[in-house]
Amino acid sequence: MSKKKEKDSDLKGTLYSVGFVGAFILVTWFLAFYLFIDRF
Amino acid sequence: MTTIKEKAQDFVRVDRRDGKLALAHIYVAFIALFIGGLCGLLQVLVRSGQFTLPWGIGYYQVLTIHGVLLGLILTTYFILGFQIAAISRTSGTLTDKQRLVGWIGFWVMTAGTVAASIMVLLNEASVLYTFYAPLQAHWIFYVGMALVVVGSWIVAIAQIMKYVEWRKANPGQPSPLLSFMVIVNLAMWIICSLGVAVEVVFQLIPWSLGWVDKVDVLLSRTLFWYFGHPLVYFWLLPAYMVWYVIIPKIIGGKIFSDALARLSFMLFLLFSIPVGFHHQLTEPGIDSFWKFLQVVLTMMVVIPSLLTAFSMFATFELRGRQLGGRGLFGWFKKLPWNDARFTVPFIGMAAFIPAGAGGIINASHQMNALIHNTIWVTGHFHLTLATTVVLTFFGAAYWLIPHLTGRVLTKQMNKLAIIQAIVWAFGMSIMSGAMHVVGLMGAPRRSDFSTYGGAQQATEWIPYQIAQAVGGTILFIGIILVLYIVANLLWFAPKGETEFPVGEVSENAEKTPMWLENWKIWLTICIALILFAYTVPVFEMIQNAPPGSKGYKFW
Repeated sequence: MSKKKEKDSDLKGTLYSVGFVGAFILVTWFLAFYLFIDRF
Repeated sequence: MTTIKEKAQDFVRVDRRDGKLALAHIYVAFIALFIGGLCGLLQVLVRSGQFTLPWGIGYYQVLTIHGVLLGLILTTYFILGFQIAAISRTSGTLTDKQRLVGWIGFWVMTAGTVAASIMVLLNEASVLYTFYAPLQAHWIFYVGMALVVVGSWIVAIAQIMKYVEWRKANPGQPSPLLSFMVIVNLAMWIICSLGVAVEVVFQLIPWSLGWVDKVDVLLSRTLFWYFGHPLVYFWLLPAYMVWYVIIPKIIGGKIFSDALARLSFMLFLLFSIPVGFHHQLTEPGIDSFWKFLQVVLTMMVVIPSLLTAFSMFATFELRGRQLGGRGLFGWFKKLPWNDARFTVPFIGMAAFIPAGAGGIINASHQMNALIHNTIWVTGHFHLTLATTVVLTFFGAAYWLIPHLTGRVLTKQMNKLAIIQAIVWAFGMSIMSGAMHVVGLMGAPRRSDFSTYGGAQQATEWIPYQIAQAVGGTILFIGIILVLYIVANLLWFAPKGETEFPVGEVSENAEKTPMWLENWKIWLTICIALILFAYTVPVFEMIQNAPPGSKGYKFW
């Protein structure tokens, strides 16, 4: 694989973006979980 | 670089006769959007406590029209219209016989829609779009809904016939990706709508006609939700078709991986159906073990959802970098933000992040008690269906309608379409945001305005209900804007050629393995999972059936 091609398939931004989506899901879930534990 | 083959494919036009069939569906969809949207506006105004419906119109009547027309009619018609065009574009023009079958299905659905609508307008069927027993509608409403389902199967058969013909003509080859996705969606639709068909034909119609006195409410709700959750995916998968196949072409990029897209669709087929109990987590009469099992299966849907998120981000990043985007997120700025065909569905995609997070909370078994029957749930599906799906459909309409009518989307209309999506996102953030927050404060869904005898808690909800009215009014302006654009594309836009964009798979992607299209394997797993998740609890439900209920009309 040439150097140029390697650069083309750089998916670092994708990794961080999907990581952000996962983190957002976890954070909101734990916030709701905390509310649930607090109430029930 | 675009090859000659690709260039030739860009100009493949959906046959005029197929286009007419697709357009017929799209007309009904946008008429439903107008009437259903108007009823949505009336609802939020009533719930603000500042407005009373005139001429004896009931709140629940308006709520039923809103839910049935937008949740069932707009979606089903737009999806089937889009899919007819997609099949015709990628698998070839329908034969006369296939097209005739499509038209028969269209008219059966439309007869059903008209019959059900008349009953709702006559205030004989204010049972909401879930038509839960023991609320009892006029029998014509149920027959109408049954015809909508049966008609949709007939339209589905026309599309499946084309796909089968393509497979026979091209043995050993994977079918065109878009056609494959259409067939996955139809397989899911047919399998799941059998549940609601059984409920309507064997329970609700005989009961509403007075042939039987009582109905088993638990069984009817179970059959409804066996259908009701995959219904959500029936809305969502066509949006995913646009994201996976159409958007890469619009942005000038490539489909990240054909195999990944197919795998993700097959996983949606598997994990969308045996999960209806997550809508019934507070239902007595279902053993907790079976609820837990279906919660686990529900969570499996996170896998294809994140596969989709990854695939979309990867497509965007590869294209953005190709255009010179640097750094971690420099590629993001390079995307074609001034193209409504991309930007409008993109806003829909972004809305799916909070929508998906909310969905996981809803389905988390005991935690469902936090939000069950509150207006949080309404806020949730206004993000999934009324933002993610609907904005993607609007974005698709901006190239599909002019492609079918032989017109073009002008620069002004393109700009207006972007403004429309921003208006929509703004109105929805206010309305859905208020619904989420006030839902957590205990405000119920599906209910008319009430001060609940001056209760302190209900007083605290009122400012949020006013916020819902503000958001809902902005959304109605959004509906007027989209109808203006659609009318322009149907009748007034300049004549010309508009492309039906279909993406090419990246040259770096692996070859698609044929087992991904082996229906015997996937349908067997799908049916096995359904039998596993439902056989014992349904058997128990029938064995230990609760006392039946007579019908009630509270409106």
